[in-house]
Amino acid sequence: MRILLIEDDETLGSAVREHTVADGHAADWVKDLSEARDYASVVAYELTLLDIHLPDGNGIDYVREMRKRLDSTPVIILTARDQISDRIEGLNAGADDYLLKPFDLGELSARIYAVARRHGHFPEPIYSLGTLAIQSAERRLYRHGQAVYLTAREWAVLDCLLRRPGTVVSKRKIEDALYSFGSEIESNTVEVYVSRLRKKIGGDVIATVRGLGYRLVVT
Amino acid sequence: MTNSRSLTRRLILGLGGATLLVWISVPTIAALRLSKVVDDLSDDLLKLTAVFMEPALIDEGKVDSDYIRVPGYTPSFEKYWTVRYSVEVNPRPSPGTPALDGFSQTATDRIYTLKMPDGRILRVAEPLDLRRQSIKNGAALVLVPILVLLPFSIAVWWMVIRRSLAPIKVLQQEIGSRDGCNLSPVGVIDLPAELAPIAASVDRLLERLRTALDRERECAANSAHELRTPIAGSLAQMQRLVAELPQGSAKTRARGIEKALSSLGSRVEKLLQLARAESEIGVAVHAIDLVRAVRLEIEDLGKKPQYAGRLILDVDGCPSLMRKVDVDAFAILLRNLIENALIHGLPGTPATVSVRTEGSIAIANAGPVVPLPDLEEITKRFRRGATGAAGSGLGLHIASMVIKRIGGSLELASPARGRDDGFEAIIRIPP
Repeated sequence: MRILLIEDDETLGSAVREHTVADGHAADWVKDLSEARDYASVVAYELTLLDIHLPDGNGIDYVREMRKRLDSTPVIILTARDQISDRIEGLNAGADDYLLKPFDLGELSARIYAVARRHGHFPEPIYSLGTLAIQSAERRLYRHGQAVYLTAREWAVLDCLLRRPGTVVSKRKIEDALYSFGSEIESNTVEVYVSRLRKKIGGDVIATVRGLGYRLVVT
Repeated sequence: MTNSRSLTRRLILGLGGATLLVWISVPTIAALRLSKVVDDLSDDLLKLTAVFMEPALIDEGKVDSDYIRVPGYTPSFEKYWTVRYSVEVNPRPSPGTPALDGFSQTATDRIYTLKMPDGRILRVAEPLDLRRQSIKNGAALVLVPILVLLPFSIAVWWMVIRRSLAPIKVLQQEIGSRDGCNLSPVGVIDLPAELAPIAASVDRLLERLRTALDRERECAANSAHELRTPIAGSLAQMQRLVAELPQGSAKTRARGIEKALSSLGSRVEKLLQLARAESEIGVAVHAIDLVRAVRLEIEDLGKKPQYAGRLILDVDGCPSLMRKVDVDAFAILLRNLIENALIHGLPGTPATVSVRTEGSIAIANAGPVVPLPDLEEITKRFRRGATGAAGSGLGLHIASMVIKRIGGSLELASPARGRDDGFEAIIRIPP
């Protein structure tokens, strides 16, 4: 998934960004709302991780602003505001979840997957595809019952294809999922990762649709 | 008005009593004064009658007139009647009638005796009943209107006093409704000059209190932010380090630091809750649905990996429970009791939260029975039962403080009700 992380604390922001990237997501990290608005205006994010206390405003207002313009991107609030009334305010404003600082990064991953699943960004926790059994939330994949190791970026490509099994996903969409802002994009990067995935999960699982993109072969 | 120290009651009783006393005194004094005036006037008239009658009696035969009739004249004993007076000439001496000049009185008459130049005695008498009747009539003229007007006057006093004191009652109600949860200005307009400064002072005091409480809340929120964010950053960085380090002593040490940071985060949370429990939180102006708050807390705690699948909510027959409590205070109370049940309950066993219509919320867990002496002590600060589980020793203390501020009660039972083991905390919040 392509995630927008809005967090002004350097220490926390860098750790969360690293963790989400390690989980196979493409994460863009911004430190204030103004920058967030700029990023969100040019990239269609699939999830936003949002702090409330920000240098140029309140995160809750940013969620309200999103919902007002009918932007349904899921939002998880990461905050130090620990009162239940703050949580109710955040959820009422349109946030999908509310995680209190300090939090366990493993719990953050679980909540990202739970929210993404509710929004249809991930298939069911265990997805069967031919000889494959895929547990996206736990980042586990079995082929013929044998565990297969995928890198974070390979997971990012697979997540992208799993979101709409059987339908064509454009190369650009996969590129967006692979890279966050600032990363260099090679012209053949998507082909390289698709090729690596085919070797690990089977060549017939991912079909190339010339000029359009790739799709999972659903039998 | 039922309060004996009520200003309205005191005013009505005091002013009413004083006015009543004045109104009773005035006709009484008037009646006494009237009696004196009537007596003097009657005496003057009695004397004048005698003096004017004397020549008529001397000039015999001229006494018969519209006013003095002579029914039968006898020189030795004559009695003349006027409309008002009885006239005797040469009366017989009697023991009760002194035969002297001037006024005298018997039991029934007021008498004026005049010694005529020829030696005869003229005595003019007036029945005392006539005088008393005159005084009574005069007094009645004063008293009757007062008696007629008295109930009406009392009603008017009542209305005027109540109306005049109404602003005090309004101010009393406005100030009385203020507590820790309603600090809005009194804002009563059109107060009398005597009360306006009081209302203004109360408003200034409420404003200062509101500002102080806002600052306290802001301080608590800032403290939470300033304490939680660096801990969150350090913990997240440490977890990244643990993830990246290869197996070995460095990773083991990093895990130790991660655990310590996590524990520090929990302690900060408890201390922030304790600070809030010691401050203003408690009752609220508007009722909230406690079941919704219970659901939110259970949902949030249930998302934590260590508590996942261990919480059971039982709201059988009680879809909502409305109570006037501060939602944050209630959440702190509930979270501490649920965490206590999860931490100290048997590992892997569920904790049950039951909400009942009569206003009770019970949190029960399986586990060893807590001895009675421990049960009586565990709500004290940093006091823990015989448990090896991790905990700050503050959870039940915070819960007991918050429930007092909410105005409810906390009962601790072990074994839990309906079972042989375990622990149960039952909170009751009156409507």
